[in-house]
Amino acid sequence: MIIKKSEIAGLLDQLAKEYRVYAPVDENGNIAFKAIKEGAEAKLGENSKKPPKEILFPQSEELFNYSVNQEGLRMDSKVDDTKSVAIGLRPCDAKSIMLLDNVFSNDQYQDVYYLARRDNTVIVSLGCNRPSGTCFCTSVNSGPFDTDGSDVLLTDIGEAYLVEAITEQGKELVGKLNLPEADAEAKALAEKAKASATVASEVDLAGLKEKLDGMFTHEYWDKLHEKCIGCAACTYLCPTCHCFDIEDDAKDCEGCRVRNWDACMFPLFTLHGSGHNPRTSGKERFRQRVMHKFNYFVDRYNATACVGCGRCIKNCPVNMDIRQVLAEIKAQDTGSEVG
Amino acid sequence: MSYEPKVVAFLCNWCSYAGADLAGVGRLQYPPNVRVVRVPCSGRINPLFIFSALRNGADGILTSGCHPGDCHYVSGNYVARRKFALLKSMLNYMGVEEDRVNFTWVSAAEGGRFADVVSKVSERVKEIGPPKGVFKKAD
Amino acid sequence: MQNLSKVIQDTAKKLLEEKKVDLVVGFAQGSLPLRSTPYFARTVDQAANLIWDEYCENNLTNYLRKREEKVAVVAKGCDTRSIVALMKENQIDREKLYIIGVPCQGMIDRKKASKLVGGEILEAEINGEEITLKGNGFEQKAPKAELYYDTCIRCAYGNPVIYDELVGEEVAAKELSFAEVEEFEAKSAEERASFLAQEMEKCIRCYACRNACPTCYCPECFVDTSSPQWISKRAYSAKDNLIFQGVRVFHQLGRCADCGACERACPMGIKLSLLTRKGVKDVKETFGYEAGLNPDDKPVLNDFTPDDPQPFLMKE
Repeated sequence: MIIKKSEIAGLLDQLAKEYRVYAPVDENGNIAFKAIKEGAEAKLGENSKKPPKEILFPQSEELFNYSVNQEGLRMDSKVDDTKSVAIGLRPCDAKSIMLLDNVFSNDQYQDVYYLARRDNTVIVSLGCNRPSGTCFCTSVNSGPFDTDGSDVLLTDIGEAYLVEAITEQGKELVGKLNLPEADAEAKALAEKAKASATVASEVDLAGLKEKLDGMFTHEYWDKLHEKCIGCAACTYLCPTCHCFDIEDDAKDCEGCRVRNWDACMFPLFTLHGSGHNPRTSGKERFRQRVMHKFNYFVDRYNATACVGCGRCIKNCPVNMDIRQVLAEIKAQDTGSEVG
Repeated sequence: MSYEPKVVAFLCNWCSYAGADLAGVGRLQYPPNVRVVRVPCSGRINPLFIFSALRNGADGILTSGCHPGDCHYVSGNYVARRKFALLKSMLNYMGVEEDRVNFTWVSAAEGGRFADVVSKVSERVKEIGPPKGVFKKAD
Repeated sequence: MQNLSKVIQDTAKKLLEEKKVDLVVGFAQGSLPLRSTPYFARTVDQAANLIWDEYCENNLTNYLRKREEKVAVVAKGCDTRSIVALMKENQIDREKLYIIGVPCQGMIDRKKASKLVGGEILEAEINGEEITLKGNGFEQKAPKAELYYDTCIRCAYGNPVIYDELVGEEVAAKELSFAEVEEFEAKSAEERASFLAQEMEKCIRCYACRNACPTCYCPECFVDTSSPQWISKRAYSAKDNLIFQGVRVFHQLGRCADCGACERACPMGIKLSLLTRKGVKDVKETFGYEAGLNPDDKPVLNDFTPDDPQPFLMKE
């Protein structure tokens, strides 16, 4: 099936009657995934500065609010199960949702807030005809037209998008739109786009996890973090970073419990009430970030917590480049520690 | 109901707070809009206090300490004065109206003037109405 | 610029060889076009990686506080002003610091460059005063002076204020300009408030601005305290974000070297210099003080005179 680009706005308007529609929009100069009111707001093709994880896992989220009065306690949970469609995610970002699923839904823990959104959101992703210079998705088990995590995949073929329904949910959504079938020419164009999308930069992950197994005390970490200023640009803009902090915003007998993104790059992240901080310096914090993504996550969920979107590389104030870090780690001599 | 602004007043312990006391002892009437926060010295007033008051719903601010030269701690208000000059300008720049955040000096002997200052501040804040711009209430 | 890199490398090598310093903080080739990256050279071999170009945008003074070892730093005009400000606060021991001063014309703004070409820049080359930007299907030349950061264009202190050694030619004096602040002041209160609210909505509280600033070093920042909790930890409130920025700027009054590191670090492109430069302007206009120019004067808010102006008093 195909959708003409000129008809996208109308289609989104149609979808918006039944669903809440998330699309990339220009928000004061930054592209972000937001619930749109009109189809015309959507800027398909632009990738967002902030990753679309915020659709399912907002940076600040009210979990429930409460009040106490003479009658007793009142508590309202804020589970959001609105039927939604998220359109225009890049395949790497769609893949990141599969990784987040591991954290928010596993045999030990089911996060109701995340899952309510997750189960009610159809992901329509848009393949990358022209990956950016900082992309390395193909190195981390993804690719510019990877369908993992997408319910529907769109491929830009010039004047139109080729539509492929991947999952049952996707088929159901596409079925509602009465789209014209794609002709052979459109299919050929899509194949051409897929074949010509090249991801220029590479990271070699082979053996990295095993290498990191023996590197916790390696001297490499002593200097690596030096230029890092310890801000959270990399973590907040990472589609797979998922750490959060929970706080109560309360005044008198009314309040709400809020979940906010948190970042392992902040000293406060691990600061104990006693004043002791087990991650004393930037060294331990930066090591944690690398280890979590490329070692611990692999141990726990058998997947690397990186999709190669390149946001951390583009937005780092001091040009800390994860591709270089990983390459350097690979080159380190771990001596007897190996194994 | 007519609009009654809430004015948070930061008063130094030694002069302005005593001035407020004197106004009370002298049975001088002034509008009940001020909520007083007693501080040891005008030098103790962190700009964050004023930002915080506006953040938490104050309609107006009054900050008062000893007259320059009369500070109980010799130079607390001199140092504060430099801060206040820059703070007032920054707040105006951010869109907070001239009359919303007020600074003055009131001594322990100026009970009458304290009542006068409070009346003026309350009246002016009433005139400009509830906060607009960034510190607008309820969002 | 090639030869400046060479001079810096040689200086660094000499300092390390003669054991005058244990560490040279400078810049090395970055991993992206239009980007250099902070670099720490401890050996003569490492010193060969040092470079100097129009992409050395970070304020390296950020790495100099409370250093135990003897350090040399490659410092632009603004970096040296931060050094002076930190010396007054006993954060930097001048005895243990060797300053390799580099006069600076300005650093190139990647966002401006991308905007100019309207696409992703994959390669950039500087030839004299001209820069060539190349990407997928385009190649465009532009005068590099047009692509400098706004803060650099308005900076009057390209030449290092203090140094042990000066590398390169001093740059011509420029006049300090606060044009963008003046323009903003001329707007109505509503316009200013709504513009700032819109900017503050972008904030994601990553604190890159705070952490990129050499003079922001409180062990505990007021935004991180929970008792009292001055502002909410939530990211979406323009009010709280403005208090964060407002107080951050306030803490910098009379200390801010106007280097613009905060604005450059912001991943969301918030126009922070609109606030920081307002502070710098007010300090200059009200008290005739500019931070980081004189190692011997007292910072403006640590000082007073009995006849300081009091334009802020309410009219009675």
